[in-house]
This record gives sequence, structure tokens and C-alpha cells, in this order.
Amino acid sequence: MSRKTVIFIALLIIACLSLAGCSGGKAGSADGADLGQELTYATAKDINDMNPHLYTGSMPAQGMVYESLVENTKEGIKPLLAESWDISEDGKVYRFYLRKGVTFHDGEPFNAEAVKRNIEAVLQNREKHAWIKLSTMITSCNAIDEHTVELVLSEPYYPTLLELSMTRPFVFLSPKDFVGGETKNGVNGHHGTGPYVLTEHKAEQYAVFEANESYWNGAPRVKKITAKVLPAGETTYLALLKGEVNFVFTDDRGADSIDVEAMDSLASSGDFQFVRSEPMNTKMIVANSSKADSPVKETAVREALWYAVDRDTISERIFNGTETAADTLFASNVNYANVELQRRDFDLDMAESILERSGWLSGSDDEVRVKDGIPLSMSLYYDVNSSSQKSQAEFIQSTAKQIGMQLELVGEESSSIANRRSTGDYDLLFNQTWGLAYDPQSTIAAFTSEASYLHTTSGIAKAEELYEKIGQVTVSTEEAARKSLYADILTIVHDGAVFIPITNGSVTVVAPKNLQGITFKQTQFELPFENMYFE
Amino acid sequence: MSFYRFKRVLLSIPLFLAASFFTFILIHLSPMDPVEVVLHAQGVPKITAELIAQTKAELGMDRPFFVRYVSWFVSCLQLDFGNSYVTGKPVWSLLGPALLNTLKLTLVSLVAIIALSIGLGVASAWREGRFVDRSVRSASFVLTSMPTYWLGALMIWFFSVKLDLLPTSGMDSFNSYLLPVVLITVNYAGIYFRIVRSSVLSNMNEDYVLYCRACGLPEKTVMMHVIRNSLQVAVSVFCMAVPIILGSTVVVENLFAWPGLGTLSVNSILARDFPIIQAYVLVLAAAFVLFNTVSDILNAALDPKLRNDL
Repeated sequence: MSRKTVIFIALLIIACLSLAGCSGGKAGSADGADLGQELTYATAKDINDMNPHLYTGSMPAQGMVYESLVENTKEGIKPLLAESWDISEDGKVYRFYLRKGVTFHDGEPFNAEAVKRNIEAVLQNREKHAWIKLSTMITSCNAIDEHTVELVLSEPYYPTLLELSMTRPFVFLSPKDFVGGETKNGVNGHHGTGPYVLTEHKAEQYAVFEANESYWNGAPRVKKITAKVLPAGETTYLALLKGEVNFVFTDDRGADSIDVEAMDSLASSGDFQFVRSEPMNTKMIVANSSKADSPVKETAVREALWYAVDRDTISERIFNGTETAADTLFASNVNYANVELQRRDFDLDMAESILERSGWLSGSDDEVRVKDGIPLSMSLYYDVNSSSQKSQAEFIQSTAKQIGMQLELVGEESSSIANRRSTGDYDLLFNQTWGLAYDPQSTIAAFTSEASYLHTTSGIAKAEELYEKIGQVTVSTEEAARKSLYADILTIVHDGAVFIPITNGSVTVVAPKNLQGITFKQTQFELPFENMYFE
Repeated sequence: MSFYRFKRVLLSIPLFLAASFFTFILIHLSPMDPVEVVLHAQGVPKITAELIAQTKAELGMDRPFFVRYVSWFVSCLQLDFGNSYVTGKPVWSLLGPALLNTLKLTLVSLVAIIALSIGLGVASAWREGRFVDRSVRSASFVLTSMPTYWLGALMIWFFSVKLDLLPTSGMDSFNSYLLPVVLITVNYAGIYFRIVRSSVLSNMNEDYVLYCRACGLPEKTVMMHVIRNSLQVAVSVFCMAVPIILGSTVVVENLFAWPGLGTLSVNSILARDFPIIQAYVLVLAAAFVLFNTVSDILNAALDPKLRNDL
């Protein structure tokens, strides 16, 4: 070995040893023995930027730190940081009476001025919040006195309280954390009023949340929660077995961190319990009714595909019963969605007869049907990163083939699929509703939005009537009228068969056997950790 | 030799420039409008025409293509890769720590790979066709043909869960290095030891070995000459192993939740966080150009004949 080679290798060894010696301290409670009465949950992604007025942070983490004026519960809107409120007769002015004695984690008082500054900070970035209609309707936010604040809207908007209850953007950050009076270009800290304080964050490794001992609603009993980043489901499962993490729940994308078999195996170990929420969203196939050069523009084709989707088998075989078969766009627990609609159960004979009646003819078995020389062939786009969507697509493809319908499967990145949805460049694609709390109003508002479902809905027979009713429903101030309008809207899209439901998804929690108080919020994006305690 | 070094370094500049240009146009290869890509990465639920116009102006995307390229490249040379679309933080503040974490893993693994490859390669060649040789080759065949992901999960199950000796993941202590380092080492040493082995074998058939033996030199001394000459081949292999490992730690980092370049690049690709992807590709390209140049210079130092090739 030459002298130079020896020197090169020696330098490498020195570099390695010095770099290895630089490794940091111990991460949170990543040791099974330390867990005790703490929760360490596995998360596939880092909690990211916790600025509550932007959209990149982890919603479950933001839900622990920040609070809104009101809370959405199963029984309706309830007080949170606002103890009570009045709504003017014309529905345009909301006056909130704030809870007294609340402070931000940094000691700053939570008062009308803090509310005003936060709302104004959100509105300074109005374009980014256009999805939440309230942000386009607030004309001013006035601090009436220390604990009274008033929101003035340009027109009446019935989901105001609902949208104020959402995880973001109308939640409150200590004004001390603002940069130049704004939050849109970053913040100095992450101090909310919530039950947990973010005390440590090591990007892409872990984040530690400690109980807010001066929380206005009493300090939470679980004193420490650690979010540990574990991108691989296999590692999460092994870390659960070893006790390095002891809590897992459905992630922001509605996907389970560990697969169904792993859950069964953990359940049989006797150390864990599984808790599943009521339906939170609907997974569906969206059909582009405005695609002029595709068979998908025909209602009969869409209806036939609806009859050809075997939801029960998908629920049992692909989701192992963890998702339930869905018959309509919204589950009946969604507000205003308990409407009588025609059922379209799995029925291949019915599907075939619909196609025959509308002129899609087939010569023999396994042959693609044809009408006016056009084959009954469509593309179905699925998220390439979702293994369950691929399996569902393949299964639906095989049943559709039995009725002479050819589905070409195309896997793409989710952002590419979102782009197709907004440009209308698709026949069929997988999607899901916004979820409880956001449904039905946000999903329905998206029917008219070019960035969302305008191409999906614009080809159906009663499109104009649909849009008119959607315009009326949000400004409607009477409950009965609203109910009737929603029933009409849901009937029109159901008859148009543009949203073909597959399953209802829920939030799943894997938790230690002795953890009590596991409940769910009216959203799939958060968990009320503050209610949990060890027995 | 210094003229050779100068020429070799000079040649690497156009290579790096070409790499930087292709890196910059990455965002334009997406079928979507680059501004829409940015807004999707920021998780904006609804993209409006006004928002697109506002973001375009904010990011300076309304300037001509080459003006943007030159300004980006000049900034990159000062380690200013812009801000992440997702977090809004400067890219270097995210890439720097990730690069350091992956470098730690890479360099510790490299030492193990070099030691193991040379040790096993020489032992295998020394005992060619015998039990040691056959066992080493069989073991390397089995281990390198196992999917990394599966082998890694198996190692975590055995050493962390069953024996409770090591953590399953993270980079909290020296112990957390062991499993990822072993996994990387198994992968690369299993390939590189063959290069050392064949180089030793071919040297053992050279005339100088026969001459040494004829002169009555002890077998140990003969072997030392063989090893020294054989390792010239290994120098370039081990040099290039650094950027190769740097760029291929995705699976290992993902499995062991190692907050390095692999994890960062995958997250950025999934989120279409182009400033990070561009910086990642550029840093890796720079590493390849650098180590390729170093390898050539080292080889030329070891073998003067190579200096005439340039």
C-alpha cells in the first residue's frame, strides 16, 4: 500500500470518528422503559412548520397547541375561547364574549386585541385562505372592549361558526410571535392557548409537547406527548412491539400508519387497544361529466359503473373491515346528509341492462362494448403512493370488465391528480370528501370551483339548477330552507352519478390498554389528547 | 503532476455547470405550471388565478429563464439555495444538517466497508477455492441478494425487539449507528470485496510475484507487494463509494428514521419541494464531480502512466 493511500484511509478514519462523536443527545422518550404515563406516537412526517395561519404543519400537533373561538361537537357548536356569542338579525355581525383569565403559553393575555390581530393576520394572506369562504366575507374585526370582539361580514353566511371552529386558520397565536405584525412570512414562536405546549422540536426526528399546567380548562392528565418521526410502517410496528412508541393513529392523509395485519397482530399481544371513530369521510371515484370525447359524459355509463362497484368486497377484502361500504356521497352522520336517495347496490345484471338500454352493445363475453364506433373505455387515475387505491382500482377494473367496460389504470402523484381534477383532464379518478366538520358545505362549495369539482359537475343535466341552489344554501338563514336546499343538491348529484362512493373512512387509534378517555373530534385531522388519562 | 491536477480540476468545471443547468430545469419538467407546483407544495387548499399571479411575482418567476438560472446559480455558489416551498425555511438550514447526518453514516460505513472489503478480498484470494473463499463468497451472495428493506426489518426485529440490544430507529446515541451501518456495509462490502479479490488474484499471476518467489522472499513479503499493487484498483472504487452511498441511503434512512439526505429528498420529491430537490441534486452532482476528480488525481499519483491520458 502506498504512503498516499495509507494517509487517505487514515484521514477517513479520523473524519469518521470525529463525526460519529458529534452525535447529539438522547431523543425525548424513545426508550421503552421511559414511557410510563407518557404517550409517544409515531408519525410518518415531521410536525413541520407549526405556524397556525399556514398549511404545512401537522394538524394533530397544531390541535394540541392552538385553539379557536368555538368548538364543533356532535351536539353542535359549543364555546371554547369564546364563552358566548350573539348574531345580529341580518346575520352579518357576530359578537363574541371571550373567556376571561386565558393566557398564551408565553404569558401574554388572550383578549379582544389578540383576537383582532390574529384575524387580521389571517386576512392579510386572504388569497391563500380562499378555500374557507369566511375569509372572503369578513369585512372587519373590531375589539369592543377587553373581552368582547365583533366580526362583521359582507353578507350572511351560515357556516361562520363552523369555519371558526376549524383547526386552521382562525386559531390564535401569541401576538409576541408575530413578525412585523404579520404571520404570513413566518413566526417567532409557537405559543397558543391550548392544553399542550410545544417544548422541543428536532426536525425530522421528534417533537415534545408538555402539559400546559395553567390551561384554563384544567391541566391535561397525560403530562408529556412525543411525536416521533417513523416514515416506515414496518419500523412503526416493530417500535410498538418493543415499546419505543405506544400510540399510533390515522395520519393527516387518512391513511393508517400500520397495515391491518400488523394491527391484528398487536391486538393479539394483549398490550394494545384499538378504537375506531364513526365515519369521517367518503372515499369515492369522481367521474368527469363534462368530458365531451369520453363515454364518461353519459349518465348511463356512470350509473352502470356505480352498480359494478362491489363495495362490500372492497370493505372486507381490501380494508379487512376497517372501512365500511358507502352508498352515498356523504354518510348519514354528516349534517344535512340524511336524505332518502335511490340505492345502487352491487348488481352486474342491472349494470348491463342500463348499458344495453342506452345503446352500448357487446358482441360476446369479454368484449368491450361499443356505441357509434366508440369503445366503452375510460381511464381511472389513482394515487401511486396509496397501495389501497391501487388494489381497489384493479378490483374495480376486473368487475367492470365483466360488463364490457374497459378501465385503463393510471397511477400518478397526488398533486398531479389534483391538477387533472382542476383542468378536467380525466375520465375517472379517486378522491375523498373533505371530511366531517368540513362536510357537506366545503365539499359542496367545491362543486362550483374550477380548482375542484367544476368539471365533474358541469356536464350533468341539472348543473345550472345545482349551482343556483349551492349559491343559495350558504347565505340561507333559515334552517328548514337550508335542509331542503341540501336535499335537492344531494339528489341532483346522486342522480347524475358523478360521485361514485366506495367506502367510509374512520380514524383509528392504537393505544396502550390502560389508556382511558380516547374520544374523537368532529374532524379526522385531530384528537382530543387532553381528555386522555392512564388508569 | 501539478499540471495534471490543474487540468483535471479545470475539466470538472463544465461538468458541474451542465449538471447545475439540468438541475435548474427540473421544475419545468413537471406537466404543471411551476407556480401551481409551488402552491400545491405549500398545501394551499384552493388555487386561484390571483394567487398564481401573486406567487409568481413573489418568487420572481415572471423574469426571463436565463436571468433566473444565472441568479439561482450564483446564489447556489454562496450556499443560498432559496427557501423551501413547504416550510419556508432557507434550504441550506434543512439540507446542511441532513447532509451532515448522512455524511456521519456514510463515513462510518465507509471505514467498515474498506476494512471488510480489503480483509475479505485478500483472505478470499489468499485461500482461493478453499473453505474460506467459498464461505465468504456464498455469504456475500446471500446477503447482497436480499432486499435491503427486508434485511433491515429482519435486523431490527432480531437485534432490537427480540434481543433488546439496540434501538429500532433514530440517531440518538452511538448504538443507533450500528444497524444502519451494518446494513450499508453488508450491501457494499459484499460487492467491493470481489473487486479486491480479483485484483489480488490477477496480481498473484504477474511475473514480479514469480520473480520475488524465485529470489526467495518470504511468502508474507510477497503478499504485501501483491496487496499494495492490488489496492490501486480499489482506491478509485472506494473514492466513488462516498457519493454513491450519499445518494443511495434512501431505503436505509427511511427504515431507520435517520434524518438525513435520503429522507429529506424523498419527502421533498413527494411534496414537490423543488428548491430542496434542486439543492440535493446539485450537492450530489458536486460530490460526484469532486470525488471523481480526487479519484483520478490519486490514481495518477499512484500510477504515473495515467498522467499522459489527459
